[in-house]
Amino acid sequence: MITTRWTSVSARRVGPYEVIRYVILIVITLLILGPLVWTLLSSFKTEAELASRPPQPFPQQLNLDNYTGAMERFPFATYLKNSVIVTVGATLLTVVINTMCAYGLAKYNFRGRNFLFLLVLATIMIPLQVILIPVYQMMARFDLVDTYLGLIIPPAATPTGVFLLRQYMLGLPDELIEAARVDGASEFGIFARIIVPLCGAPIAVVTIFSVVWRWNDFLWPLVISQSSEMYTLPVALAQFNSELIVPFNYILAMSVVSMLPVIIIFLFLQRKIVTGIAATGLK
Amino acid sequence: MSADTVSARARPRARPLITGKMIAPYLFILPNMLIFGLFTIYPAFSMFRISWYDSKDGRRFRPVGMENYVEIFSSAEFFSVAFNTVLFTVAFVLLTVVGSTALAVMLNDKFRGRGFFRAVIFLPTLLSAVVVGLLWGWILERTNGLLNVALDAIGLGQPGWLTDGNLTRWVIVAVGLWIHSGFYALIMLSGLQGIDPSVYEAAQIDGAGRWRTFTQITWPLLRPTALVVIILSMISGFQAFDFIWTLTGGGPVGATTLMVQFIYQKAFESPVRYGLASAGAVVLFIVVFAFTVLSFLNGRRQEAA
Repeated sequence: MITTRWTSVSARRVGPYEVIRYVILIVITLLILGPLVWTLLSSFKTEAELASRPPQPFPQQLNLDNYTGAMERFPFATYLKNSVIVTVGATLLTVVINTMCAYGLAKYNFRGRNFLFLLVLATIMIPLQVILIPVYQMMARFDLVDTYLGLIIPPAATPTGVFLLRQYMLGLPDELIEAARVDGASEFGIFARIIVPLCGAPIAVVTIFSVVWRWNDFLWPLVISQSSEMYTLPVALAQFNSELIVPFNYILAMSVVSMLPVIIIFLFLQRKIVTGIAATGLK
Repeated sequence: MSADTVSARARPRARPLITGKMIAPYLFILPNMLIFGLFTIYPAFSMFRISWYDSKDGRRFRPVGMENYVEIFSSAEFFSVAFNTVLFTVAFVLLTVVGSTALAVMLNDKFRGRGFFRAVIFLPTLLSAVVVGLLWGWILERTNGLLNVALDAIGLGQPGWLTDGNLTRWVIVAVGLWIHSGFYALIMLSGLQGIDPSVYEAAQIDGAGRWRTFTQITWPLLRPTALVVIILSMISGFQAFDFIWTLTGGGPVGATTLMVQFIYQKAFESPVRYGLASAGAVVLFIVVFAFTVLSFLNGRRQEAA
C-alpha cells in the first residue's frame, strides 16, 4: 500500500522502461567493476589463498607482500621507473611541440598552411601498427633502439593534440596578438606569454590524453625495448605473463599498480576527459 | 623558382626581406613536423618500398618485385589471418554500433545515478589493454578461472573459453567491446545531445512510443554520429592487437591471430621476413583506407537521399 502511494506521489513516472534500464545498467556496471574489484582484492591474497577452492572473495588480511615481493624479487621497480620516465618525457614533449605547431597553423598566414594541416589530419589514418617496420628501421638508423629517446620521440607528435589545440586557438582574437606586436613583443614572447596562458583548458586535455596513452602503450615499447632493462610496465607484464616465470600473485599486484594512476586521474578529472572526447570525437 | 628569386633581388629594399613574422610560423611547426616527417610520413612511403624487397636481418635487402605479394596471397596462413581479422572487425563494428547507441540512449535523459553509470562505462577505455587482456585471461582460464569455477558450481560445466577456437573468436569480440564500447557510447551521446529537443515534441503530440520515436526521429538524426563511430571502430577493429596478445596470444591454433600480430611476428620474431611483413602492412593499410572511404561515401549518399 505504502509503496504504491510512493510511486504515485513521485513526480517522475517509473514505467517498465525505467526498470529495465536500471537492470541493464546495473548488470553492465557489475560486468565492468566486478573483474576490477576482484583483481584488487586478489592482489592482497597469498598464493595459497589464490588457489583455494571455492575462491574466497576477501583476503584474510590486507598484506602487501605481493607488491613488495614483485619489487624486490623481480625488477618491477625498474619497469615502473621506465614507465614514469617515458610517460612524463613523452607528455612534456607532446604538449610543447603540439602547442607550438597548433599556434603556427592557427595564427599565421603562410604558404602551404592548409596543406600542412591536412597532412597532420591525414596521419591519423596512418597508425603506428601499420608503419611499425619502417619506423623501427628509422630508429635503428639513428641508433635509438633500446633507449628512452627511442621510446619517447616517435609517438610524441600526436595529430589529435595538434587538431584539438588548433581548433581552440582559432577562437582566440587576433587583436591580442597584433597589439602585442605593436608593443614590440617578440613572436615567441607572444606565444609564451599571451597564447599559452589562454590555452589552459585544451593543454590540460592534451596532457591527460597523452599521459593515458603513453602509460598504456604496448606495441611500440614492445618493439623498441630489446633488453629487459628498458621494458615499460605493460611490456614487462605481457612478457612475464606468457613466460610463467613470475608468480601470478605478483603479476596481479603489478596489474593493479599499472591501473591505479589512470583510475586516480579519471576520478579527479573525469569531466575534463569526457568533454575533451565529446569535443573532438577522437581518442 | 629562379625567376622569382631574380625579381625579388631586383626590387629595391624598402623593408628587410625577411621579418620575424615570416619565419616564425615555420619555426613553430618545425619540431612537430620534423617528428611527423621522420616517423610517420617518410615511413608510410618506405613501407611500400620495403614490400618489394626481402630481408632476413633488416640490413641487406634483396629486390624481389611482386614476390612478397604473391607469397602472401598464396599462403593459407595469411588467408586464415585475414578471415579472423574480417570476422572480428565485422562483429566488433556491428555490436559496437548497436551497443553504443543503446547505451547512449539509456544514458541521455536525466535520472538518478546517470553520472555514475556514465563514468563506469567509460572507465575501461582508460585502462591498459594489455592488463585487461591478462586479467580476462585469468578469469576465463579453463579449470581454475573464476568464471568456470562459478559455472561448474552451478552445474554448467567448464566451457573452453580460451581453448575452443570457435568460442575464443567470440571471447575476443566480447573483451574488445568491454574495453571500447564506453568510448563509442560517449561519442553517440554527444551526437544525441546535438539533437534539438523540440523535434521530439511533435512525436509526443502524435503519441508515438519510445521505439517509434527512436526509429523515426532519433536514429535518422544520429546517423552522422553513427558514421563516425563506424569508421573509428572499424579502424580500431582492423588494428586490434594488444589485449588479444595477452588474452589468447593469437591462439588456440591461430584462431585469434589478427593482421597486426601477423605483421609483428613476421617482422620481429624469427625467421624475420621484413618484406613479407611490409606487404602485409600495405594490404592492411589499403583495406582500412578503402573501407573508410567507402563508409564515408556511403554515409554521404544516405544523407543526400
